[in-house]
Amino acid sequence: MSNTATLAPDTEKAVESRPPLLFALPKGRLADESLDLLQRAGLSVPVDTNSRKLVLPSSDGSIGFVMAKPWDVPTFVEYGAADVGICGLDVLRESGRRVHEPLRLPFGYCRLSVAGPKDRPDTPLRYASQPRIATKYPRLAQEFFRQRGVNAEVIGLSGSVELGPVLDMADLIVDIVETGNTLCANGLVEIRTILEVQAVLIVNRAAYQLKSRQIQGLIERVREAI
Amino acid sequence: MQGQIPFGVADYFWEEALQRQELIADLLATFRAWGYGDVMPPAFEYAASLSAQASAGLQAEMYRFLDRDGSTLALRPEFTTPVARLVGTRLHDWPMPQRFCYGGSVFRYVDPQAGRQREFWQAGVELFGAPSPDADAEVLALTAEAMAVTGLADYRIVLGQMRYFGGLLAALDLTPPQTEALHWAIERKSEPALADFLRETPLRTGQRQAVEALPGLSGDPSTGSGHRDIQRVIDQAERHCLNTEMHRALVNLREIVDALAGYGVLGYVVLDLTEIRSLGYYTGISFEALAPQSGFSIGSGGRYDDLVAHFGPAQPAVGVALGVDRLLLARQRQAGATVTPQPVRPHALVITNRNPAAIAQVQGWRTEGYRLQVEVNGRGLSDVLAHAVQIGVGQVLAWEEGRFVAYRANADGLFAPSQGEISFDE
Repeated sequence: MSNTATLAPDTEKAVESRPPLLFALPKGRLADESLDLLQRAGLSVPVDTNSRKLVLPSSDGSIGFVMAKPWDVPTFVEYGAADVGICGLDVLRESGRRVHEPLRLPFGYCRLSVAGPKDRPDTPLRYASQPRIATKYPRLAQEFFRQRGVNAEVIGLSGSVELGPVLDMADLIVDIVETGNTLCANGLVEIRTILEVQAVLIVNRAAYQLKSRQIQGLIERVREAI
Repeated sequence: MQGQIPFGVADYFWEEALQRQELIADLLATFRAWGYGDVMPPAFEYAASLSAQASAGLQAEMYRFLDRDGSTLALRPEFTTPVARLVGTRLHDWPMPQRFCYGGSVFRYVDPQAGRQREFWQAGVELFGAPSPDADAEVLALTAEAMAVTGLADYRIVLGQMRYFGGLLAALDLTPPQTEALHWAIERKSEPALADFLRETPLRTGQRQAVEALPGLSGDPSTGSGHRDIQRVIDQAERHCLNTEMHRALVNLREIVDALAGYGVLGYVVLDLTEIRSLGYYTGISFEALAPQSGFSIGSGGRYDDLVAHFGPAQPAVGVALGVDRLLLARQRQAGATVTPQPVRPHALVITNRNPAAIAQVQGWRTEGYRLQVEVNGRGLSDVLAHAVQIGVGQVLAWEEGRFVAYRANADGLFAPSQGEISFDE
């Protein structure tokens, strides 16, 4: 005697209309270059990325694009809500999400670095027993210091990390550095590089197997466009 | 505080609990039909036993606590190690092979994610004392059968063979950091990381070619012809064998494929020699079951010939563990439906007035499989009808003058006595 589930008919349609492949793209800094690359790879990309629709179908309907917050892209991909995504290596490593990462993409170059006050750059890093670190990357920061045998006091912030040392809330920061201008303007100097960052193509582990033909095709085209 | 429950556990009730119990029962019935006997290891035991071969990751996820005598205990994070302990310590002189099946909850300190709380359910089998490809094939076929029993139409079993990669590592003679770099690149399917490895590691031409060929050694499940696709991957891998270990891995795979052919499940199997999760634990095949629309694997297994030796005489072993929560989720998604939790309603409410003849008839219906709730608060017909409306039950049976009168709800939800034989809606 089995008791079958009651089906809600309206949700059936939502599942049916899901395009064969869902691609999560990061809003903001990486968005334009991601779209350029996909266009060069011959994928039909959505025209109006500022549309209020959450899922934008490509013109031939073969791919749906989701414009997501950059920090959410690895999450969407790990859960299989999106099959493929583009994000920065910094975001991917900080997220700790388990995904495949077949290709690195030629944009979004920067580095994740430790920076400290200009006047005594190395002191907190080398000699403080418990340096205070302001960062948007608590996981990577903690790991970097732990590997050096230091239990840092990691202070998680969501922006303007440079303020930490300026306001004497933190001794050091761990943050993304592109040119170093922002650091310089705040009296900070780069001390160590934790991670060389660039954009990366990520794939859900199940989708990599179950949709291998579409995904391998996509990887192939993107690889040629790099 | 009093009404709260800790993070990572859940109350399952009504239909959700029923479906969970029924799925576990269906899976166990299937396993028993294949000759597997039930085993129920304890929910907690010595942490040292459970850690016998646990990866660093699993070790970190174990719930450990102190017994009152000071020894360290842990909640079981999986079933394989406890069952291996049982066989190694107490059943090693019982004739082999031995087959065991289980279903129950395991505990891991993880961030709750799709179909996995900190307490989650597993059902699976372990087959001891059979090193043969036929044993591997049986567990693979039984995994496929379990998917069918669950009601999954679409799924894949991604099959790897650790010894191919293990043999390659031996042939390359790498330093530990180099091994780690190669392992990482293959596991994450990362082309740039593999390119970095090749650039930074001095290799002879044959070795280099074998490494370069690795990413290509995975099947394409969309071809729809499992058998031919698997042969293609094995043939390709054959060209890059650097030692007998790699060769033996492929011979083993060919034999497993032969043994599997009769089960008719090769269409669901994808060979992937880059599948090297849990290297060091599995000693032969390893596999993961995947379903569309669910990003996480719904089951995994493989051959672990080194585990039983931690507890007694060595025994070859192969097994699979299925994630019951994830199977339920995958089934729900394949049906394209969201399930609204519903109470499991009885077929009817019954007023017996304690009459023995009435109770006898109710007992008869119950043995036929109908769910009947007897009125225990002594309420009269009108109150019971009102209760039936409240909980959405469409029939009330009332004992009147030596027989049951059925009151059935019409389309408007109003109850009226119905004529003729008493029957129950399915």
